[in-house]
Amino acid sequence: MSILFIGLIVAAGMGLSFEAGLLGPLGQQVGHLWATLSIFGVGTSLLWMIRHFIPNGKYTNWNAIPKWQLIGGLLGPVYVVALTLATPVLGVAMTMVCVLLGQVGKSFAIDYFGWFNTPKQPTNLLRLLGLVFIFLALCFVYIGAQQ
Amino acid sequence: MILIVLLAIASGMALSAQAAINGQLGAKVGVIESSLLTFSMGTVITGLLIFFFEPAHDATLLSVPKWQLAGALFGIVYMMVMVAAVPRVGVAIATIATILGQMLMSLVIDTQGWLGNSPIELNYWRVAAMVCIAAALVCIYLANRKPEHISTRGTAEDAADTAH
Repeated sequence: MSILFIGLIVAAGMGLSFEAGLLGPLGQQVGHLWATLSIFGVGTSLLWMIRHFIPNGKYTNWNAIPKWQLIGGLLGPVYVVALTLATPVLGVAMTMVCVLLGQVGKSFAIDYFGWFNTPKQPTNLLRLLGLVFIFLALCFVYIGAQQ
Repeated sequence: MILIVLLAIASGMALSAQAAINGQLGAKVGVIESSLLTFSMGTVITGLLIFFFEPAHDATLLSVPKWQLAGALFGIVYMMVMVAAVPRVGVAIATIATILGQMLMSLVIDTQGWLGNSPIELNYWRVAAMVCIAAALVCIYLANRKPEHISTRGTAEDAADTAH
């Protein structure tokens, strides 16, 4: 059963690369911000419909949420715009490696310093090693692109 | 090119900050609701940026082939899959499986030049890079597997947030 789900996640991960691969050329044709809008516009519409079909959804007390937790919405467009800018120059794989490096590095830092109210955690050597490997991967893919 | 590399890394950082914030929001209001909020904020902000900063283009979203607009579908499907699968396979496996899928498919897209991207030859350096990613995945998996580690949060919800 869980193999099925793992396969499903791998396929969904492939979908994410498709998304990045679609965004680059689209951004070059219609403009990077328009390409970003297509992602968020379609995404918002779909999610709005989906939320009506999920059980125990429809949270209404939005005013009770701390305002800083809404910042998440500002960071999304940063990512998508960067994606449309980067994929035509770097290629999909290199872009993904860069994003991965930023993600793993930052979440390492978030845990380490306990930013955003998350519980502080001691350095995990394995995660650090993972980070080093991703950085190496970025170096290799960069060298590969120079040739 | 270095500049774009830095930009892409910074965007990954933004993504992970967003994941940390949305993780807390999601715990309170649910994944779908918090994503809906993120997406609608994203739509409004992008709309504002377009009004003031986007130069005119010959091609528009309405004139390009429709399949080029399918990007968001993949993101949403990914999110739904994660919502369904993470409780069953665990965060560590889900993270690894996501990155695996991403890397494999991005290599294929680059090599074949699919979706209108210019093809990039698969050379030894790129293969070496993927070996490094594989090693990194092993590290991340081992680090996340320890039950006392809540830090699985970091990468997994990052992953869930790559949906954007």
